Amino acid sequence: MIAKWIGKRVIMGTIVLIIVSFLSFFIMHAAPGNPAAAYYGGNAQTLSTAEKERIEKAFGLDEPVLYQYGTWLREALQGNLGYSAKEGRPVAAILQERLPTTLQLVVLTLLIVAIASTWLGLLAGMKEGSIVDRVLSMFSIASSAIPPFWLGILFIMVFSVQLGWFPTSGMNDVRGEGGLVDRLYHIVLPLTVLVISHVGIFARFLQDSVKAENRSYYVQVAFANGVPEREIRTMVFRNAVIPYINYIGMTIPSFFGGSIVVETLFGWSGLGQLLVKSVMVKDFPVLMGAILIIGVVVVICLFMIDVLMICLNPRLRRGGIV
Amino acid sequence: MFNIENLTVRINDKYLIKGMTFTVPKGQITAIIGESGSGKSTTISALLGILPAQATLEGTIFFNGRDLIDLSRDERLALRKKHFFTIFQDATNSFSPTLKMKQQLYSLTALRLGHKNEAFLAKIKVILKDLNLSEDVLESYPFELSGGMLQRCMLACALYNEPDVLMADEPTSALDMLHQQEFIKRLKKLHTQLGTTVLLITHDLGVAASIADFILVMKNGEIVERGQVAEIFEQPKHLYTKRLVANHF
Ligand SMILES: Nc1ncnc2c1ncn2[C@@H]1O[C@H](COP(=O)(O)OP(=O)(O)O)[C@@H](O)[C@H]1O
Ligand SMILES: [Mg+2]
Repeated sequence: MIAKWIGKRVIMGTIVLIIVSFLSFFIMHAAPGNPAAAYYGGNAQTLSTAEKERIEKAFGLDEPVLYQYGTWLREALQGNLGYSAKEGRPVAAILQERLPTTLQLVVLTLLIVAIASTWLGLLAGMKEGSIVDRVLSMFSIASSAIPPFWLGILFIMVFSVQLGWFPTSGMNDVRGEGGLVDRLYHIVLPLTVLVISHVGIFARFLQDSVKAENRSYYVQVAFANGVPEREIRTMVFRNAVIPYINYIGMTIPSFFGGSIVVETLFGWSGLGQLLVKSVMVKDFPVLMGAILIIGVVVVICLFMIDVLMICLNPRLRRGGIV
Repeated sequence: MFNIENLTVRINDKYLIKGMTFTVPKGQITAIIGESGSGKSTTISALLGILPAQATLEGTIFFNGRDLIDLSRDERLALRKKHFFTIFQDATNSFSPTLKMKQQLYSLTALRLGHKNEAFLAKIKVILKDLNLSEDVLESYPFELSGGMLQRCMLACALYNEPDVLMADEPTSALDMLHQQEFIKRLKKLHTQLGTTVLLITHDLGVAASIADFILVMKNGEIVERGQVAEIFEQPKHLYTKRLVANHF
């Protein structure tokens, strides 16, 4: 039963990844410019037409796009993501460096956002009409309306340039020895920007979910029958947290989206920054690899959320859906 | 048991209840009948002290000689815990969807009375059996049980708690005919077994006639007629009651 369900999810995840890679591949090739340019490096002017043709032939760039995609997919399914057009290094090796740094940023953001928004959302939602309730409702709209890149620039201006508290960019002090403290010191600003641009909307979601749950019939029945409020609050939280976790799961891709902007701004050398750089130099193998790896991470996250939902919701467990 | 005088409930300028005076005699079944929107549920909420915060409450509600009107939130909670139990209309939504019935029945009974879990399990199993429910109910989630079964679970709580006053707000309206009759039979049995004072709300005259000792007829937030079952049915005085009775037969 469970094995069958997991099998089904793995197949569905694979199909999603194939569709994503297919669309990405074609969008890249539909963009103006020559995909071979990345292989020339800075030598585009000095190369003869014959040499350019030789390069195109060598990397199969003269083939139809669909054929090229087929080749990429076949190799990717066998674990070969190819070589960077710009650096010549294996794409897998580049991703291996970049993935952990992005995960550091995204996982830490997710963790802080989850804890802070749970706390705020409960505080506001459990006391409908209170000051916290009203302030959070406004704050969440305001915070989600602030563009992360603008907030990032503001933070750099205030906390790095004027106050000098934190570095403007980078992941390590180039003169220092690195280490955990140094990394934390560098992550503070990008992390804060990502947290601020996400926390309000998550807290608001839980707040609304708690308020709706508080009005539900069983709460009134329990209240009317003298069930202690502590007990009722626990029940409410249990039920309100289900759509909230589902919501977090659905917005996980947006954390990676946010990290693209923030990584670029703060010189955080993760996947987001890699994506932007690769787009600019048309390094398609790296681009495809980065998109694929982000896709895999997202699919895994969604799978974990599904498992969590099944644990939390007896209807899914016993309703024969699994 | 209850002595209510001039009870008025108002939200802003809207009167939900306009000066009701009535008693709920100890050890008897009192039924309030009336069409939907006449203020029956509001009456129960007033007695339980669970009116919405924006409601204004006037008059007196004497319960065992004590006026409940000006009690604090905590005092009202304590009162509900100690003396009352209420069964509502929609049994399928009366329980949290993600907790096993075992836990929910515990919160509605043993937690009120301060019983330990073993004592609770021992007692509730006997009651469930008596109500023709299997022990599996305890390990079930609400969505796995029918409305009739869930309403019997509420009744099980009433049997467990042995409240001084059992209130029931249209407890059979969501049930099919067969379960309606069965529920009323069991309610009657509970009443004779424990001698519980019952305040039953219904818009079903048949239900009221079959079980109540005394009937109050409500319309637009007022009591328009009151009397023994036989009086109400044989010689309805108020035009509204006449219409209700005429429609029923
Ligand atoms: N919170 C509220 N605010 C305003 N009006 C309400 C509220 N609750 C109930 N009412 C109104 O009070 C009247 C009586 O409602 P209710 O006591 O539920 O009637 P019944 O139980 O007899 O059907 C209805 O007209 C209803 O619309
Ligand atoms: Mg009602």
